[in-house]
Amino acid sequence: MTLIWESLREAFGLIVTADSLVIAAAVRSIWISGMAVGMATIVGLPVGTLLARIRIPLRSFIILMFRGGMATPTVFVGLVCYALFSRRGPLGPLELLYTPWVIMIGEFCLALPLIVSITHGAVKSLDVRVGETARVLGARPLRRWLTYLSEARVGVTLAIVTAFSRCVTELGIAMMVGGNIKGRTQTLATATALETGKGEFARGMAMGMILLAIALVVTGLIVHLGREDR
Amino acid sequence: MSMIHIQDLEVVKRDFTICTVRELAVKEGQRWAVVGRNGSGKSTLLRVLAGLETGFRGEFRCLVRKRERVFVHQAPFLFRGTVLFNVKYGLRARGYSHSSSEKVARHWLDEFGVEYLADALSRELSGGELQRVALARAMALEPKLLLLDEPFSEMDEDGVERSVRAVGKLGDTTLLVATPARLPDGVVERSYAMEGGE
Repeated sequence: MTLIWESLREAFGLIVTADSLVIAAAVRSIWISGMAVGMATIVGLPVGTLLARIRIPLRSFIILMFRGGMATPTVFVGLVCYALFSRRGPLGPLELLYTPWVIMIGEFCLALPLIVSITHGAVKSLDVRVGETARVLGARPLRRWLTYLSEARVGVTLAIVTAFSRCVTELGIAMMVGGNIKGRTQTLATATALETGKGEFARGMAMGMILLAIALVVTGLIVHLGREDR
Repeated sequence: MSMIHIQDLEVVKRDFTICTVRELAVKEGQRWAVVGRNGSGKSTLLRVLAGLETGFRGEFRCLVRKRERVFVHQAPFLFRGTVLFNVKYGLRARGYSHSSSEKVARHWLDEFGVEYLADALSRELSGGELQRVALARAMALEPKLLLLDEPFSEMDEDGVERSVRAVGKLGDTTLLVATPARLPDGVVERSYAMEGGE
């Protein structure tokens, strides 16, 4: 109990004093995860909707692959990214290893299956009259697609929130391909792990709490934007 | 030449014939009632005409492009958002600007006596209001072919009266109304009786 109380005090102190290390790690975490989820949203929403509405060969297999991808361990994604971007890997010449960009790519791979699968489920479960009504009112494919997303906005919001929460709190990718370099690739999750490893439990716990607070605030904001009565 | 020509049409679902039409020829501007008992396939016939049902046998020809055909479901569906957004939807899809689509939408809502609901959310409407809005949304497009599936089932007398008046203002639109009962005078001039059903 004392540890938690001390952690809360330290977390409050870190925020009030605007600890540069914490602020930088927090901003980096939000920026990397935000960009990764943003890109995954741009790709995932059309893919999820198309898989729900259009019959294509191997559709069931593709859906199964994305659903399976939702449970991929972050450390495995980190390992694959490491193999691809390490000096001897096929993408080694890009020299992206231990940069925020490779963490972003890894988190994109983490977020995409979530966004595709949840969007697919949300659009698939829509009333059949949504598509029929849009069609008989003369909506062309793009307008129909936007209508599906609007009608399934609760599910779509859930997809984005879930993806962001998973990305901002993940450790495996950031640690493996980011290297936890202070001032360059350190995120709140890796900083938390580092501080705890050093025996600085209160500071580690404080960072964890800040991480939790960010996840909650951003989640609340996205949920507010996608709420049903808007 | 008929605008719609159907010969020996059959829609079969899971080895069960749900709609049979021996012969139907509809000329441009005509107004038809499609009458029949529950399960006789009235809705299915309208869905075939709307282009929503493609798995059928027999001969079917319709000279109206799919974008010029508008179908209103028996239980109409309104999108999330306001009533005005819903009535503007088809107009915007046809390239109307925001302001002109709003003008047309408000005019048709007024025709059906629901202009006051323009800013209401679609999920807050009663069954009768929902039918009025759905009809306003369909008629605002002034389609060449209008297909209405039991459009007055939840409407009060005022709603039916207004709908009959609105139909009269549609000009040369060809109309087919599926109904289990006799329609009010002035809506249709001919009727086609479906076979089967219970």
